[in-house]
Amino acid sequence: MDKKFAPHIEELTKALENISRSTIEDELELLLKYRVPIDEAKRSILKKFQNDSLVSKKVNDLAIGDKGIALEVRILNINEKNVNLRGDTATIFSGALADETGLCSFTSWKPISLNPGDAIRIRNATVRAWHNRAEVSIGDRSEVELLEETYLPDISELSVTPVKKLDEVGYSDMFISSVAAVIELYHRDVNVKGKDLTIIEGVMADETSRLPFVSWSLLDGVDIGTILRFEDASVSMYRGVPSIHLNESTSVHIVEPDEHLPFTFASVNLPPKPLPIGEVLQNEGMFDVSVEGNIVSIRPGSGVIARCPECNRVIMKNTCRSHGVVEGIQDMRIKLILDDGTGSLLVMLNRELSEIVYGKTLQESESLMGKAMSANVVYDDMKSILTGHYLGVRGNTSKIEYGVTFVAKSVWVPSEDLDKRVSALLERLEGVE
Amino acid sequence: MVEREIAHRIFAKELNDSSSTIHSTIDEAINSEGHTPNYLLTPVGTMVNRVFIVGVITEVDNVGTDTDTWKARVVDPSGAFTIYAGQYQPQAAIFLSSVETPAFVSVVGKVRVYKPDPGSPIISLRPEEIHLADEGMRNCWVTDTAELTLDRVDAFSKMLSLCENDPNSCNCMENMVIPSNLSEGICLAIDNYGTDADYLNELRSVVKKCIVSIDLASSADGDKYLDVVVMELLEELDKGKGVEYMDLLSVANSRNINEKAVDSAVRSLLAKGQCYEPKIGIIKPIS
Repeated sequence: MDKKFAPHIEELTKALENISRSTIEDELELLLKYRVPIDEAKRSILKKFQNDSLVSKKVNDLAIGDKGIALEVRILNINEKNVNLRGDTATIFSGALADETGLCSFTSWKPISLNPGDAIRIRNATVRAWHNRAEVSIGDRSEVELLEETYLPDISELSVTPVKKLDEVGYSDMFISSVAAVIELYHRDVNVKGKDLTIIEGVMADETSRLPFVSWSLLDGVDIGTILRFEDASVSMYRGVPSIHLNESTSVHIVEPDEHLPFTFASVNLPPKPLPIGEVLQNEGMFDVSVEGNIVSIRPGSGVIARCPECNRVIMKNTCRSHGVVEGIQDMRIKLILDDGTGSLLVMLNRELSEIVYGKTLQESESLMGKAMSANVVYDDMKSILTGHYLGVRGNTSKIEYGVTFVAKSVWVPSEDLDKRVSALLERLEGVE
Repeated sequence: MVEREIAHRIFAKELNDSSSTIHSTIDEAINSEGHTPNYLLTPVGTMVNRVFIVGVITEVDNVGTDTDTWKARVVDPSGAFTIYAGQYQPQAAIFLSSVETPAFVSVVGKVRVYKPDPGSPIISLRPEEIHLADEGMRNCWVTDTAELTLDRVDAFSKMLSLCENDPNSCNCMENMVIPSNLSEGICLAIDNYGTDADYLNELRSVVKKCIVSIDLASSADGDKYLDVVVMELLEELDKGKGVEYMDLLSVANSRNINEKAVDSAVRSLLAKGQCYEPKIGIIKPIS
C-alpha cells in the first residue's frame, strides 16, 4: 500500500485498538480501489469496526479519556438527580460501581432502571474526569445489560472499605481504612457555606509513604506523634496526589503505645531519602519526596517577576489578564530543570528558596537590574551562576499539562560523600583490570 | 505532551565508540505532535540525545570561515568530547571565545553525528549550556557517571547471559527482567555492534580507570596526614620562641619529607591558624 496512507492507517489502528493492522489495511485498500475519498473511507472503517473494538477493562485500569470500554461491575448505590442541562431539565443517575479490583463513581445520562446490588455489563462507556478522578460515563451510545446474579463478588464483599498502606492509595480508592502516624498537624479556620469552622490539616505517614490529611472534627487528644487507626476515610485526588479526609462517618481511634506496628513515630518522621528522578516521573503525583541532580537549564520566566496584587498572577508591563493595568508586586522565582541521568524534572522555587539558591535577595537583584538597566540581567546571572551545579530539593510533584512539575519546599547542596560511593564502585569492579 | 530528553551521564569513551543513529519514524512523529528526536546508539545500548558532562576544557579554536565557529575539546578521564558552537549557540560561542584553558567546565549538549563517509562518523556536542565548574563537581560527575555506566553495563551483561542459550533470536523483550527502556537499546546494540562480554569488560576497566584517576582518597587524606606530621614536628622543635624555617626543613628532610611538601603543609597550617609567623623565617605553633 502507498506509503502516504501510513499516517491514516496509524490513526485507524490507534482508534481501533483491537483490530489488526492488516485488516485495516485491506479494508482501506478496498475502499480506495473504489476511489472513495480517504476521509470517507476512514469514516466507514471506523464505523464498521467500532463495535468490535471495545476494550474490556477492570475498574482500577480505567484512565481518564478512555473510550469504547466494556466493564462488568456491580452497582453499589445509585441515585436519581434532576439537573439543568443547557436550559433543559434532565434526569440523570449517578452512584458508585465496583468490581473485585476497585470502586468508581458513574453517571448515566440516559434513564436506566438499576438497583444497588445489580451486576451489569456496560458496553461502549467513556471515562471522564470528575473531581480529578476517573468516572464512568454512560451515554446515549452505551449499552447496559444485567448479568447473572452470581457473576461478581457479592455487594457486601465489594462495599467493604479496603485496608491499605499509604503508598497503595490511588485513583480507584474512594474510601480506605489504615493506620498511620501524625507527623504534622495544624489548625485552620475556614468558612464553609457561610459557617466559620476550625479544621485540622496535617500529614500522616506509615512505613511506605506519607500523605496529607484533613479532619473536619477537632480530633481530641490527637497531636503530632499520635498513631491513628481510622476506618472509612474518604480519599480525594488532586493532580495525582491523594489526600485523606476524616469526616463524621470516619471512625478514628488512637492506637495504644503497647500495640505492635511495623513502624513507630520516630521511624517514619525522617526526611525522605532522595529517589532517582526516573522513578518520580513514573508517578503522576507524589507527596513529600526528595531528589538530587544537576541543574541543566534555568527556564525563561525565572528571575524578578511582577505579580498582580489582586490575583497573584504573573503580569507583564503592569497589565493583568483579568484586572487590567495594576501596580505589580515584585517577586522572585526560579524555574529550573533538574536532571540526574535517569530523568529530568521541572522544579519551581519560590522567592525564599530562590534567594537561598541564587545567593542574592530580591532587593539585591532589583538593584542589579537598576544598574544594568535591563530586566534580563538577573535571569542571565542566574544561568551563569547555577547551571551545571548540584542541587537537592524536597517537595511535592504533580502532573500538569506541561509534564511533571516539582514544587520545592526546601533545598540543599547534596553532600559530596564520594569516598563511600567510590569504594562501593570499586567493590562492584572487583576483579576488573 | 513531549517529555524532555534525559541528559545522559556518559564517558567520552562510550560516546566516541558509537556509530549507529536512530531516527524517529513517521508513526512516532505523528504520535508525538511532530517531535522527532534523533538518538545516537552507544555500544552498550544507551540511546543518547542529550548529555551532561563535567570535564576539563583543553583546546579552543575558531574554525569558522565567514562567521565564528568555535571548536573545543573537553576532556574526561576516559577521553575527549568535541564541542562545536556557532552563531546559533550565541551564549556558548561567547563563553568559548573568552575561556582560558585549561579550566573545569560543565556542558549540557545535544549529540551531533556527522558521517562524511560510511564507517567513520564524527561525533560532537552542540552545547545548550556551558559554564565554569570546579574540581569538586568534576569528581562528583565522574562518580555519578561511573555508577550509571556500570548500571547499564550490568544490565547488558544480565541480558547477554539470559540470551546465551539462543543468541540468534533475541526475545529478551518478553522476559521483563530488564526495564523495557533499557532492553530496547540493548537489543539494538547487539544487532548493530555485536557488543559482547569483551567490550563490556573493556568498558568496566575504563570505568575503573576513571574513578581511580580522580584519586579521591589519597589526595585528600595525604594532605591532611602531612599537616599533622609537620604540626607535630613544629611542636617537637619549638622551645618557646618558635622554629627557624631552615631548621624545620633540615629536620623534615632527615625524616624523608621533601621541601615542597613541608612548604605546602606550613602554608595550609598558617591558613588554618594552627601556627603563625612572629618574624620572617620563624614559625610558631599555636597549641
